[in-house]
Amino acid sequence: MRNPRVGWALLSPTLVILLIFGFAPFLYVLFVGFNQWNVFSAADGLVFNGLDNFRRLVFDDDFLHSVGLTARFAIFAIGSEVVLGFVLAQMLTRDFPGRSLFRIIHTFPLMVAPIAVGAIWRLLVIPGFGPVPFFLDRWLDLTYQIGTYPDQALMTSVLMDIWHWTPFVTLTMLAGLSSIPREPVEQAKVDGANRLQVFWYVTLPFLRPVLLTTIFIRIMDAIRTVDEVWMLAGGGPGTRFTGIYIWRVVFPRTDYGYGSSISLITLYLTIVLCWLLFIAISGRRKGEVE
Amino acid sequence: MKRCFTIVLLIAFALVANMSLVSADDAWWAEAAAPYAGSTIRGVSESTPPSNYVADVLAAQFTELTGIHVEFETTSWDQMYSKAINDMEANTGIYDFVYIEQDIIYSYLAQDYLVNLTQFAADNAALAAADYDESAFTSFADYFKNADGDLFGVPMEAFVKVYLYRKDLFEDADIMAAFEAEYGYPLAPAETFEQYADNAMFFTAYGESMDMDLWGTTVQGSTGHPASTYEFLESIGPSFGLYNWGINLDAGSAQSANGGALDGETAVEALSFWLSMLPYAPPEATSSTWDEVASSFAAGRAAQGWVYGENAAWIATDESRSAVTGNVGVRLPVTAPGVIEAAQMGEGYIGYYDGGAFGIPHSSRNKEATLLWLQFIGQPSVQAEWAAVGARITHTATFDDPLIAEQDAKVDGYYTLLEEQGPLFAGAPPFPFHAQVREIIDPFIQRAILGELTPAEALSQAAMAVDEELARLGYGM
Repeated sequence: MRNPRVGWALLSPTLVILLIFGFAPFLYVLFVGFNQWNVFSAADGLVFNGLDNFRRLVFDDDFLHSVGLTARFAIFAIGSEVVLGFVLAQMLTRDFPGRSLFRIIHTFPLMVAPIAVGAIWRLLVIPGFGPVPFFLDRWLDLTYQIGTYPDQALMTSVLMDIWHWTPFVTLTMLAGLSSIPREPVEQAKVDGANRLQVFWYVTLPFLRPVLLTTIFIRIMDAIRTVDEVWMLAGGGPGTRFTGIYIWRVVFPRTDYGYGSSISLITLYLTIVLCWLLFIAISGRRKGEVE
Repeated sequence: MKRCFTIVLLIAFALVANMSLVSADDAWWAEAAAPYAGSTIRGVSESTPPSNYVADVLAAQFTELTGIHVEFETTSWDQMYSKAINDMEANTGIYDFVYIEQDIIYSYLAQDYLVNLTQFAADNAALAAADYDESAFTSFADYFKNADGDLFGVPMEAFVKVYLYRKDLFEDADIMAAFEAEYGYPLAPAETFEQYADNAMFFTAYGESMDMDLWGTTVQGSTGHPASTYEFLESIGPSFGLYNWGINLDAGSAQSANGGALDGETAVEALSFWLSMLPYAPPEATSSTWDEVASSFAAGRAAQGWVYGENAAWIATDESRSAVTGNVGVRLPVTAPGVIEAAQMGEGYIGYYDGGAFGIPHSSRNKEATLLWLQFIGQPSVQAEWAAVGARITHTATFDDPLIAEQDAKVDGYYTLLEEQGPLFAGAPPFPFHAQVREIIDPFIQRAILGELTPAEALSQAAMAVDEELARLGYGM
């Protein structure tokens, strides 16, 4: 039997780093969240204000609006990425000419830094200079201005995210599909199951852990999206997501106390959302044991 | 022959004397910097024509002279603020000099972020360059002084936001005739808001009819950047007679009911006019900050507009970047009746006198070397070429430099306007909460641009929100 002490000893460097760089900053943010602290206020330093910051954000229209926008962004983007990623992964499990080349090209967006992705898309869609508004206007007589129409800005952000992150979903799905044993699939076919039934009763249950992990990762990414969207539209209407709102409160407004409280609530919402999804997708109920 | 020989001799003597002066000067810099040679000083600034000149030209000259390396980061306006403030607040000492925009100096002074340069130079007499003189700066330097007259930043750029127009369009005989036929009076650079609106409508229609990418006006109307708030509060508002962002600092309020003016009639009129110009601006207007406005104008996409003066020189002269070189007209911005007279009497201002300085944060670990650097860029000898490239003037004597006189002719008298009419403009109000309150106003201006709020609703809600923020910050009622 292996000695657990060795395991803990091997884990300890990682745990120490996590404590210093993960848990300690979290405690600091927790502390600041219960204080009023703006370096440019007339009062010096931190002033304890209890739950005032949290009460304030409940009535903060801009924050609530940012939460709504982020939810729309996450639903559209992640939903599309999962569907597209699955279809592409299915496609890549089969042989077709140029499969290897397609796989390489399709993975390219993953290698691009988010800030560069934002810059590329900004150059594509900037009104007056970008090719997308130009051709939409010329060919379809469509006015496309992300600075003027919030819905267009939101949808452009969604498209950008899909372009950037679908390859990640494809790769994880591909890994999941590759690990499914052939026997249950063949057995289902022998038993007369059609393709939809095979997918629903065999493939999907096997894919569930991969699907769950992928969706969790993408939800966390979507909720904290800042750099790409910031580069694209500067956090204007339609793109003022929670991450960007926090950035604005903490940096230009230097309202560190309020910014910390929003960060904490956002973290809480992320955890709750992931937990609910975990229950929904894994099918676990209260009291169930693995 | 003898006379000719004497002249040649005199010229040679003058050249030798000049060379010895230069080398004596160079020797002083090398000697003063000797203890710091090999060290590196770091700075951060917004990427603007004057800052880029510092990064590309002056930094290299200084390093060659002193052996002190200058790492100068020119970044976006937002990043510049974040980086500088975080560094100074946390006392990390990453930056030895930071860009201090005129509007943020009051916040920095209130937080005691900056070294008193006058005092620091007096305390380090061995580092005092003979060619550097605080009194040589224009009155713009006063924005960077405390009540005792001590300087906290060496001015590196100063310019006004002017009215630019395309002379090739405004002086075209056919266009002039068409305008007069339609509006019943001659086409000219606008002097009233009605005229401005007529020009904007006319050129937008003209561009459409000629299938040209031409619109009637610029609008710095980004809905994702504070630039739109700045254009409204610092350019359009004052030209209607709305001063100090409509905030009454004594009363601690922006609401008319409490002595403010942000939701007053003048403010609503100013915002209504500005928003009414959006249909006549290029489609990129709602994504445009000051940089994009300058680029749009340089691309020939607007017939007239409000453009920051730091861009005037390159728009008018740099053929590699501008399609309207040689065709740029410069005038004072349009104002409502009585506003210029009020400004002349010192009771208001007509627009924004923008600019900034380099200061040394207390957190700097290389204050002495940085003091030398700031004196280097503050010398009269480096000013003219810098002013010609960056359309900025911080020294009174620079206005009389032959290079500037030559450049002035190419930029339609921009430098003369800056010298003679500059006092009609003013910097940002002395708020120690500049960025904090501006961030509060931004969403309302942006929603007004999108048409989600009427001008009156936007300003009324903005004034209320400002009052709440002022109260939170401890400056309110």
